[in-house]
Amino acid sequence: MRRTLLYALLALAGLVTVLPLLYMVSLSLQTEAETLAADAVLVPDSPQWGNYAELFTRAPFGDFIVNSLVVAGAITLAHLLFDPLVGYVFAKFRFPLRNTLFVALLATLMVPFFVRMIPLYVLMANLGWLNTYQGLITPFLMDAFGIFLMRQFIQPIPDDLIHAARIDGASELRVYRSVILPQTRPALAVLGLFTFVFQWNEFLWPLVATTTPEMRTIPVGLTLFNQEYFTLWHLTAAGSVILFVPTAVLFVLTQRHFVRGIALTGLK
Amino acid sequence: MSVRTPRTLAGRYARTAYLFLLPAILFFAAFFYLPIGNVVATSLRTGPQADQWAGLGNYADALGDPAVRHSFLVTVAFAVMVVIGSIVLGLALALALDQPLRGRVVFRVLLLVPYLTSVAIVGLLWRNILDPELGVLNRVLAGLGLPGQQWLNTAPLLTIACVTLWQSVGYTMVLFLAGLQGIPETYHEAARIDGADAWRRFWRITLPLLAPTTLFVSVMAVISGLQAFGQAYIITNGGPGDATDLSVFHIFNVAFRTRDFGYSSAQSVLLLVVIVAFTLVQLRAGRRGEVTY
Repeated sequence: MRRTLLYALLALAGLVTVLPLLYMVSLSLQTEAETLAADAVLVPDSPQWGNYAELFTRAPFGDFIVNSLVVAGAITLAHLLFDPLVGYVFAKFRFPLRNTLFVALLATLMVPFFVRMIPLYVLMANLGWLNTYQGLITPFLMDAFGIFLMRQFIQPIPDDLIHAARIDGASELRVYRSVILPQTRPALAVLGLFTFVFQWNEFLWPLVATTTPEMRTIPVGLTLFNQEYFTLWHLTAAGSVILFVPTAVLFVLTQRHFVRGIALTGLK
Repeated sequence: MSVRTPRTLAGRYARTAYLFLLPAILFFAAFFYLPIGNVVATSLRTGPQADQWAGLGNYADALGDPAVRHSFLVTVAFAVMVVIGSIVLGLALALALDQPLRGRVVFRVLLLVPYLTSVAIVGLLWRNILDPELGVLNRVLAGLGLPGQQWLNTAPLLTIACVTLWQSVGYTMVLFLAGLQGIPETYHEAARIDGADAWRRFWRITLPLLAPTTLFVSVMAVISGLQAFGQAYIITNGGPGDATDLSVFHIFNVAFRTRDFGYSSAQSVLLLVVIVAFTLVQLRAGRRGEVTY
C-alpha cells in the first residue's frame, strides 16, 4: 500500500517532468497547421524533419551554435586552467595577505550577476568589446565557487608528495602539473561539466552584450527568434531541441558525476 | 626591471604563490571589484551619460517610486513561493526516493533533467503549453471536455513560480537526498525500539537533523529567486500589467530600454542589499535552530 503510494507520487512527478519535454520534441516535428489544430496534436502524422532545415534558413542558427560552442567552450577551458591552480595556491602555500585575499575571493560569491551587469556593459562598450567573443567570455573566466571547490579537493593531498617532488628538483610549475593536477581529475570532471552546462544555458549576459543576430548564443537567438516569429512554434521547438540535446546527452553519460557534484556543493 | 631572488625559502614560495595568483588577482579586480565600485559610483550619478552628480537622489527616487516598490514586492513574493515549494516538494521527493525502491536511479535522473535545461527552453516551452488561446494544455482539456485554464492571467506570479520549481526541484531533491543519507540509521532504530511511529520519527529525527540542508536549500532558493529574470522576460514580459515585473527584469528595462544607468544602478545596489539582508537573517535563524544529538 505504502509502496504503491510512493510509486504513484514518483510516477506523477516523472510524468510532469517528462511530458512537456516530449511535447517539445513532438512540436518540433509538426506542421504549422498541426501546432495550432483545435484538436491538439500530440504525435505528428508524419514527422517534419524539414523543420530543422527551415530553422537555419529563417535565422542564422548555425552562427548561434558556433557562438555557443565557442563561448561555453572557452569559459570551461579557462576554468579548468585557472581554478585548480588558484585552489592549489590557497590550499598549499603560506604567503603574506593569504587570508585577506581568500576572504576577498569568497566575498565575490555574494555578488549576483545583475550587480555587475550594468558596469560590465559600460566597460565592454568602452573597450569596443560589445558583440564580440571576448566580451561574452571574459566576465566568466573564473569564479570563486570553482576555486573553492578545487581548494577543498587539493587540501587533503599530503604535503610530503609536494616536498618530495621539490627535493627531486622539480620546478614549481612541474610540481603542480605532475603531482597536483593528476590527483584532481574527478573534481575537474565535475567542474568542467557544471561550467559547460551553465555557460551553454546562460541567458542574461549574452542578451545584454550582443547587438546583432550573428553574435547571439542559442538561448538568446532562440528567444528573440520566437519574439519575431511567435506563431512558428514548430521552429521554436526545433531550436529548443537543438539547445537541449547536448546537455541532455552530456548529463545522461555522466549523471553520477553530476549528482555527486550537486551533493558536494551542499556540503559545508 | 630586475627581479631580486628572494633569499629565504619562505620568500621563494611567496613569490611562486603570487606568480600563480596573478591572473586571478587581475581577473577579480577587473571583473568583480572594479564593476562593484562602478555600480556604486554610477548609482550616485544621473543624466543620459550618467555623468552628473546626483548624490543619493537615485536612491531617494527609487524608494519613493511606486513601480520600483511594486517590483520589489513582486520579487520577494516570488522568492517566498519558490523557497516554500523547493523545500516542500524537494523534501517530499527526496523522502520518496530514499526508500529502497526499484528504479530510483531512473527517477533521480529524470527529475534532474529540467535543471540542466536553459531558462530559454523552460520559458518558451511553458509559454506554449499555458497560453490561454493557443496553448496545447487548453486544447487537450477541451478535447477531454474540461474547462480551460487562464493561469497566466489569473495567477501569473504563482504560475511562473511553479514553472521555476518545475526546473529546479530536481536540484533541491538531490541536496535533500544527500542530507538524508547523512543521518545515521541508528537514530531511527533507537526511536523505533522506543515505539516512535514514522510520523514522529520524521518530526523528531529527520527534520531536525536535516536542518543544515534545509538552511542551504532555502538560502540558495532565496538568492536565485530574488534574481530571477528569464521567467519574466520570456514567459510574461512582466505582465499582465506589471504583475510579474521581477526586480532584475525591471532593472534591465530601466538600464537598456530607458537607458538610465544611474537609476538602474541604484536599484541594483538596493536589490543586492535586500539579498544580503535575507541571507543574513536566514543564516542567523538557521544557527538558532541547529541541533545536535
